[in-house]
Amino acid sequence: MSDSANDAPVSLPDDLDLPPDVVALSGAVQLSERKQARKENWRLIRRRPAFIVGVIIVLIWVVCALLGDRITPHSPLDFRVKPHLSPRSAYPFGTDISGRDVLSRVMAGAKDVLKVAPLAALLGVFFGVIVGLVMGYIGGWLDNILSRIVEAFLALPVLLVALLAVTTLGVTTGVVTGVVAALFTPVVARTVRSAVISERDLDYVTSAKLRGESAFFVMFREILPNVSGPIIVELTVRIGYAVFTVATLSFVGAGPQPPSPDWGVQVSDSFRSISAGIWWTTMFPAAAIASLVIAVNLIADSVQSVVEAS
Amino acid sequence: MGRYVLKRAKSALITLWLLATIVFLIVSVLPGDVGRRVLGPFALKEDVAKFNHQLGTDRPLIRQYFTTIRRLFTLSFGNSYQSGRSVNSVIFPALGRSGKLAILAFVLTIPLSIAAGIYAARRKDNISDRVVVTTGLATSSIPEFVTAAVLLSVFCVHWKLGHVYANPPANASLIGELPYLITPAIAMMIAYFGYITRMARAGVIKGLGADYARTATMKGLSRGDVMRKHILRNALAPTITVISVQIGYLFGGIIGVEKVFNYSGLGITMLNAVKSRDIPVLQGAVLLVGLIYMVSTLLADLLIAYLNPRVRLETNR
Repeated sequence: MSDSANDAPVSLPDDLDLPPDVVALSGAVQLSERKQARKENWRLIRRRPAFIVGVIIVLIWVVCALLGDRITPHSPLDFRVKPHLSPRSAYPFGTDISGRDVLSRVMAGAKDVLKVAPLAALLGVFFGVIVGLVMGYIGGWLDNILSRIVEAFLALPVLLVALLAVTTLGVTTGVVTGVVAALFTPVVARTVRSAVISERDLDYVTSAKLRGESAFFVMFREILPNVSGPIIVELTVRIGYAVFTVATLSFVGAGPQPPSPDWGVQVSDSFRSISAGIWWTTMFPAAAIASLVIAVNLIADSVQSVVEAS
Repeated sequence: MGRYVLKRAKSALITLWLLATIVFLIVSVLPGDVGRRVLGPFALKEDVAKFNHQLGTDRPLIRQYFTTIRRLFTLSFGNSYQSGRSVNSVIFPALGRSGKLAILAFVLTIPLSIAAGIYAARRKDNISDRVVVTTGLATSSIPEFVTAAVLLSVFCVHWKLGHVYANPPANASLIGELPYLITPAIAMMIAYFGYITRMARAGVIKGLGADYARTATMKGLSRGDVMRKHILRNALAPTITVISVQIGYLFGGIIGVEKVFNYSGLGITMLNAVKSRDIPVLQGAVLLVGLIYMVSTLLADLLIAYLNPRVRLETNR
């Protein structure tokens, strides 16, 4: 699915300057073809409108997160304004119960989720790739045992376990990041495992083994580049889930604490005033969460359809 | 079939045991004093000791481990740290209330999403297919509590169509509870609609292109009959799997929905347990939900094997 280069006829670019004994190895030939395929994929991804929209929205939030209160119209923590002002030109998103500017808080709140979610996803994919490579390539009883453990992890709802873990370990950014990463690892491992299994009996792996390469080399230098497609897909999908999970955790109190402008905290602080007709304190941070997860998913979906089609 | 059931049940038992082990590891084996960590640096020494004793963390690890395993298999989760009542008397009634909400959500979601999946598959790559798929992708990626808050604002407060608090009055009948539960159930429907639709769509597209569908069409069956008698039956398997997996996830998302609508189900019970550091209740709830997930995926696999003889023959070989 991910690797058509293996069966494709071998064609070397003329300017490829490699010693003949290296060219003889299928690995080197594939390296150049793989680069070509990757370039082509990247070109296809960039042309998808969903991808462009997703990237623009994510970039807006990244800029807000990086610059924080340097670009917010007011201070996100300044509560000198009248409370619960409805949206107006001076305060386009209104003010909250403590008289803080909701627009400034929504802009500043991007930081909390963007600090945790991508890192958690990255860590989860990093460890998941290692475990998945070992499961798929080494196989045997080790794969059997790890597969069982992965299955048990999948039976645990991420949010519930995260709640249990942050209660026993304490609510810190590090714990939330670590817990989400740990819960994502088995899911990633399963995906990588099945990708590796469809690669491990191919000729380039056999020839690397015959050359006497170590298992480590075969896994990380031969197989890993060939399963990079599904891994990148998994990473983008995981970032989406991480944003989802982190936002929900902070909504239920297992994340940043008030007066943090984190979006989940803002919704949690203010949703009870909805019934009094004060919708803006909840709706704007809620829309911010929705826009970020949808944007990440648009990117993930574009990457996925291109990678799976190739 | 008997052999398949046995094999599948055996692997479910092993997974359950591992699940209990993971939950045990989270609570017990991490370095340091659980009581001190949970109660904070300013708690009295006696309180910390009492906490550890109640939780059982002052006992040898191996005994604690067997306690956790026994609790999962006997379905009795010890006593609540906060109230001293048995955890069962706290979590089972709450689970019942969450279950009602969950069932209502599935009753709304499953027919709608299978219909949407068929509709989209028939119009593959058309604009209406794109709309269904993209909407599903977008709504299923938004956290449930966000959807719930939007519904609360628009549906319940602005249009005054639903109740702001989902807890029905104590004397309400099952039908009488419906108006209270419908808005949170819709919030969950919006979250799960996308996944099931996508699976149903993919299954139907695969079926439409399969040889058996062409044969059935050439035999002279009407389009509706081909869909009902041949394609749907085959497309159902991945859909059943995704539904059974959703049942597990649902108990994660339900926490946010219950908080928004102030519904006293398992989610709110867990949040209260977090607030009062009631680890036995949390532990019990996580184990119970893991058990529900295992049972639902097991039943789904058996149902698929029953519907499709090829699956069970595979294991006999």
